[in-house]
Amino acid sequence: MSQTITIDPVTRLEGHGKITLYLDDQGNVENAQFHVTQVRGFEKFSEGRPFYEMPSLMARICGICPVSHLIASAKACEAIMSVRIPHTAAQLRRMLNLAQMVQSHALSFFYLSSPDLLLGLDSDPASRHLFGVVAAKPELGRAGVGLRRFGQHIIELLGKKRIHPGWVIPGGVTEPLEQAKRDEILAMLPEAYANIKLALDWYKQIADSFKPEADVFASFPSLFMGLINEDESVEFTDGALRLIDPRGGIVADGITANQFTEVIGEAVEPYSYTKFAYYKPLGYPEGSYRVGPLARLNIAQSMGTPLADIELKQFKQLALGPVQSSFHYHHARLIDILYGLEKIEQILTDPLILDKHVRATAGVNRLEGAGQAEAPRGTLHHHYKVDENGLITWANLVIATGQNNNAMNRGVLQAAKHYIKDGKFTEGILNRVEAVVRTFDPCLSCSTHALGQMPLAISLVSADGELVDQVIR
Amino acid sequence: MNTGTARCLILACGNTLREDDGVGPFLASWAEERFSSAQGVRVLIQHQWAPELSAEIADAQTAIFLDCAVNASPGSVTLSPVEAATEIPRLFTHHLDAATLLALARDYYSALPSRALLLTIGAASLELREAFSETVKAALPAAQRTLEEAVLSLLETAGQRK
Repeated sequence: MSQTITIDPVTRLEGHGKITLYLDDQGNVENAQFHVTQVRGFEKFSEGRPFYEMPSLMARICGICPVSHLIASAKACEAIMSVRIPHTAAQLRRMLNLAQMVQSHALSFFYLSSPDLLLGLDSDPASRHLFGVVAAKPELGRAGVGLRRFGQHIIELLGKKRIHPGWVIPGGVTEPLEQAKRDEILAMLPEAYANIKLALDWYKQIADSFKPEADVFASFPSLFMGLINEDESVEFTDGALRLIDPRGGIVADGITANQFTEVIGEAVEPYSYTKFAYYKPLGYPEGSYRVGPLARLNIAQSMGTPLADIELKQFKQLALGPVQSSFHYHHARLIDILYGLEKIEQILTDPLILDKHVRATAGVNRLEGAGQAEAPRGTLHHHYKVDENGLITWANLVIATGQNNNAMNRGVLQAAKHYIKDGKFTEGILNRVEAVVRTFDPCLSCSTHALGQMPLAISLVSADGELVDQVIR
Repeated sequence: MNTGTARCLILACGNTLREDDGVGPFLASWAEERFSSAQGVRVLIQHQWAPELSAEIADAQTAIFLDCAVNASPGSVTLSPVEAATEIPRLFTHHLDAATLLALARDYYSALPSRALLLTIGAASLELREAFSETVKAALPAAQRTLEEAVLSLLETAGQRK
């Protein structure tokens, strides 16, 4: 008799999720589904709103990455306005986006995943959390808190709020950077560098002990996509998209926001509210791809900053071509943070960074516009249509978590098949299945635009549909 | 972070778009103005209390947490001492209560405010609205008086510690 395992809710994620594992008659895993069980609908209720309200409305989608929504949305609005924003405004936005990436990655790595990495995937779940981390390695916990505060404090300095800042608007930003704030951020950098160095040094020491997990945590060939500069360095806010194949060959390059829908399609599945993005020429699901830290490092030839470039060289030695295991998202996330610190320092020493000209103005000059940016979890695309009065008639958002959706499902299946035999499993095994999802750091609230906090659940279902076991957290 | 040591840290939590849930942020904004000339009063207003606040708490000489309470009688104003938790909730990362935040400050930074208080106001309604229920509106003067006295008392404690 076949069975089903349900993990519900999946813990230590951004949003609500559930995993169902379908077993065959022998109790081995036949299929797996990662369900995103919440729904919101921002695209629909933004209809009828003036386009210039969109950035602040869209930022409310997420409390972790509101800045990326602000930026992608503002860029879509600027396409409607047909304006190019001032250099200083572009640099300030880039800094804000990087600060958000640092705090979001700090949350993912230190708060959500470091308990598994430090204490072990089989450790007692009662202490597999931040208090367990501080008991075992307090300096690591403090480094995480420090990096999260660093990113949040920059967001607060620039946007006046840690969450849902409103500083980014269509045309630029509302006000220039004050010298005192620049100096304050520069003064915070040495501590932030020390924190990320501590984390990277520690991670590189322990990474090899997770090789068995790395071999089965969504470790398979796939396409990768992300923003990149003309010099092939990593980019978070401007640039254009590049897609590479599993061997590293360039499949598509220089994709602007306006060209996005020519290349990327979206499919739906009945078991999840999150859409499944795919590369159109290969169709669905063959054209599924991955985005986010791992993809960014795989598509880039350099980070464009000295310390992160050294780390990128080491990272690329993990594989002959693109690094395929999603376990290495953790490592890539730390390199992203280091890059973010260096880039913020570069931006703050730009001679024009205190310039007062930070906003361009215009009305409706086009009836359609799209914008894209790298959110911490990967590429984010906003696409709007407006009427002659600038009221939104249609909106579509393609979120990083939707673009990783197929890979997450495949990854859960791969790990579940490897670990669950004869219908038998332990808490540590289920934690590994959840940890596959955690490597992607999905933001379920973003991907479905859903309401709510965090948790996930795993169900074990027999071949005749009977619920055999369920773990709910 | 260059925030300086607070003699009294006022930490509010709540969503101002959810009716009475916004009472903590409202009171914190009121206190920020009321104590604008007092040295060392720091006000932090958050949607949720997250682990990184432990660093600010560890730095503070005294602290008062402001929140609405869904399990209390609507409109009731309750001020009580709060201690670092000894039992840690198993599932958390985004939202912590005052006792857990204090425990994080203790465990991460080996430091705690010399006194910590929790001021709660019983919520009558948490609907999507940027205004308080009549019950909570009526309780605001009492809540402001209690908060004022509590902050003055905490500042005195901080002064004594110096």
